[in-house]
Amino acid sequence: MNHRTVSALVGNDLRQLARNPRVLVFAVALPLVIWPLMWFLTSLTTERRQERLESRTYMYAVAEDPRDAEHAADTRAWLERALAVVGEEAQADDADTTDAPAVRFERIELPDDFEAALDEEQLHVHVAWEAGADDGADENVDVDSETLGNAGDAAQRIVLSYRADLDASDAAEGYLRRALERTRVEVREGRLAAAGFEVPPEDLLPVERIETASEEQTSGLLLGRILTAIIVMMMLTGGSIVATDALAGEKERGTLETLLTTAASRIEIVTAKNLSILTVAFATSVLNIANIVLWMQLDVIPAPAGLKLVIPVGAALLLLFLYAPAAVLLSSSLLLVSGRSKTYKEAQLLFAPVMLVSLAVAAIPVLPGIALRSAIVVVPIANLGVAAREILTGQYDWPLIAAAWAVTAAAAAVLARASVRALSAEKLITASDIDAADLAGGPALFPRRVGRWFAVLWALLLVWQLNVGGGIDSRLLIVINMAIFGAAAWLMIARYRLPIRETLSLRAPPPAAWLGVLIGVPAGLLLADGVVRLASLAMPIPEEWIEAMAEAFGADIPVWQMLFFFAILPGIFEEIAFRGVLLHGLKSRFRPVQLVLVAGIAFGFFHVDLFRIPGTSFLGVLLVIAVLRSGSIYPAMAWHALHNALALGSARVEQIRLPDQPTWWHYVLATLAILVAFRLMDSSKRSYQPPAS
Amino acid sequence: MSTVQVEVQGLSKNFFDQSRGEVHAVQQVDFECRRGEILGLLGANGAGKTTTLRMISTVLQPTSGTARVLGHDVASEPVEVRRNLGFYSASTALYPRLTARETLTLFARVNKYPAERTKSRVEEMIERFGLSEYAGVRIEKLSSGMKQKVSIARTVVHDPPVLIFDEPTVGLDVLNALDLQQAIQELREDGKAILFSTHIMSEAERLCDRIAIIDKGRIRACDDLEGLRAATSQHYLEDIFVHYVTANADS
Repeated sequence: MNHRTVSALVGNDLRQLARNPRVLVFAVALPLVIWPLMWFLTSLTTERRQERLESRTYMYAVAEDPRDAEHAADTRAWLERALAVVGEEAQADDADTTDAPAVRFERIELPDDFEAALDEEQLHVHVAWEAGADDGADENVDVDSETLGNAGDAAQRIVLSYRADLDASDAAEGYLRRALERTRVEVREGRLAAAGFEVPPEDLLPVERIETASEEQTSGLLLGRILTAIIVMMMLTGGSIVATDALAGEKERGTLETLLTTAASRIEIVTAKNLSILTVAFATSVLNIANIVLWMQLDVIPAPAGLKLVIPVGAALLLLFLYAPAAVLLSSSLLLVSGRSKTYKEAQLLFAPVMLVSLAVAAIPVLPGIALRSAIVVVPIANLGVAAREILTGQYDWPLIAAAWAVTAAAAAVLARASVRALSAEKLITASDIDAADLAGGPALFPRRVGRWFAVLWALLLVWQLNVGGGIDSRLLIVINMAIFGAAAWLMIARYRLPIRETLSLRAPPPAAWLGVLIGVPAGLLLADGVVRLASLAMPIPEEWIEAMAEAFGADIPVWQMLFFFAILPGIFEEIAFRGVLLHGLKSRFRPVQLVLVAGIAFGFFHVDLFRIPGTSFLGVLLVIAVLRSGSIYPAMAWHALHNALALGSARVEQIRLPDQPTWWHYVLATLAILVAFRLMDSSKRSYQPPAS
Repeated sequence: MSTVQVEVQGLSKNFFDQSRGEVHAVQQVDFECRRGEILGLLGANGAGKTTTLRMISTVLQPTSGTARVLGHDVASEPVEVRRNLGFYSASTALYPRLTARETLTLFARVNKYPAERTKSRVEEMIERFGLSEYAGVRIEKLSSGMKQKVSIARTVVHDPPVLIFDEPTVGLDVLNALDLQQAIQELREDGKAILFSTHIMSEAERLCDRIAIIDKGRIRACDDLEGLRAATSQHYLEDIFVHYVTANADS
């Protein structure tokens, strides 16, 4: 990559932007004013509303139950007592001001139709009391009501009727209810004391809360929850300014073809466009944040309660590093959308779903109870958001932070690569809106669709296993899973008219391949066990899962059934789906090493539980190599079935149990055995030819 | 050293269009273009001229066949091909908010012209194409004639040995078109190999050393004007063109 070319292109993009006054005004200058203004107006409006509510006079009317005159006097007295203290809490909140507004209640004559009076705001709250024995409070009243039971000998209830959708009525009900509740507590405590209760009621079972989190941790949690969403929103807002113009704008202007016929490579162009997007997104984000912080410092807009905008330098640098792949991921997404759009307008239209999805993912840290040490670690951006939240509260789970970073970085790399491909697409230039594979369909189209098919299949299996799978017999679960794999494979073969023999590598392997399988299986199992042990340092295997497995593979299932359900069925159907159809679809898209890793890891991800993915991915990698080396699926089927059988056997039979504490030479021997196994599988009939560069 | 700068062999391109199905835009096209030569691609609209030139400029990938620019293959060495190429067409626009000088500097840098000579080369181009007075003016404020001059200067600023002009005079008035033709002739005299596509007979007749008549994606004839006259017994290029196109229709 030529940095001179890249810097020239970035300079050009930024110069174009800087010379576009409309963009500068609407995308840069206005947000600088609008954001703090909105914030200021919101807080001002809230403050004014509060003042208004606290200084007004509320109208109430009382309807007594004539059937229970005996207790009415008490209830009336309580109401008056409550009215005497109403609004005290509001005054207490405003203790720092000398002229705190006072809440006043004024009684009016009971109207004939109190609901109509509530509608017309002549009345704000209607107070009624009735005999407590009558549980059937007036259910025909179609307004919200709050019931205050006062059990005991004065068994009457006070019913407040109000309109929750009318500001004044809603506020009146709130003030009055809280005052009545306080009065109730005071009356109850007075009665208890009068009845000779020795311990003052307020001293009975006192509860004290001690907050052990430091101020930084509490503030960090608050900031950590919202930080990712804010950064993503600002980056998308700023980045979209350049991204729209980056490819869609160039297409519309006719400068894209000019650019594509220069000596700049596609990678240089995409890198430059990404850098332009990132530069502007970063600059506008910094400007906006600095702007808001400035207004907060000037006390024009208030900072959220409990939020302390101080991050230790180390944590700030770590966050900057952490968010870097997220920034690339977002800019690549925007660039990809721009590249796929025919016009500027279409690009703007398509940015909306990108923004929604990105913000939804970025808002995940707001949800309580989501820790980085969970499946969230494989969700790009969300994982960094949760990691940032944990870092800001002083938790540094380094393996998981690294994993989250790697996952988002990998997603960013995939999207950046897709952007390069989008820039190479002929539909950018030609009138033809589809290419050969799209039109021809069939086998030519399959390599481009295989990813989507398996993504949908993965989502289906995930939903199925999480919602239904756990509650049924493990044998039935295996049968259903295998049926899903088999049906999906059949559907893909039928839909794309794939040649079955070639797709599934249904060829006789070299005879030595069977010996290779026998050597490879125990070695592979030992190595897979090593991978699981290694991964468990970061992702421990939950005890519940081990117990569930022990139960599922318990001694009550006959051995032949164990072998059939857990070894033979997966050996056939998972191989057809993964080493057959998936591998066939991916062959033309990846170089050998990439192919082995992608197809292997994809298999691992179908094992849903995070801690199972490393071990099963490793097995997937071995099986992919077995197919590519032998040119046949049969050795992989045998390997898979024997692997599962041996794994089950090692759990049940002492004689074939894996070493509890394997040493390094176990792994060296196993690795050598695997190499011998693959050597034995080498076939001149190998079907796989790497795609041309 | 061979003077052949562009070599095209068996070049074909199939498109797929939802309404028309498979379209054979270019079929088995062969030609060469030498140093100091203007090779004209003469054909009606939709004959395959632009597609052929876009394949040579690596914007489109050939379905089959090869094209080489100074020995560099368009499929395997696209960047090297483009480094040695200047591409001008009615659809290659300029950045409206750059000045003429900034435009030329940008394209010199992007085309990897040596950094130490970029400034002098840009000034040389400004001088040569009579842009001195407007070099600091943004493109969006220039007249169409001035924009065209900047476009040509942009095409040649990195001093490529091969130039492609795809229907360059489309939309220009007579005087601007004549200016452009003059500029192209001067570039030939500089030793550039020039591929020039047009559907205007007089333009091809006046400018081109050799003319390849292209129809329905195939080259029907490729020779100098005298050769074409001798082969068809027709004097005017218009008649020669009709001769080949109707012969093809009859066959």
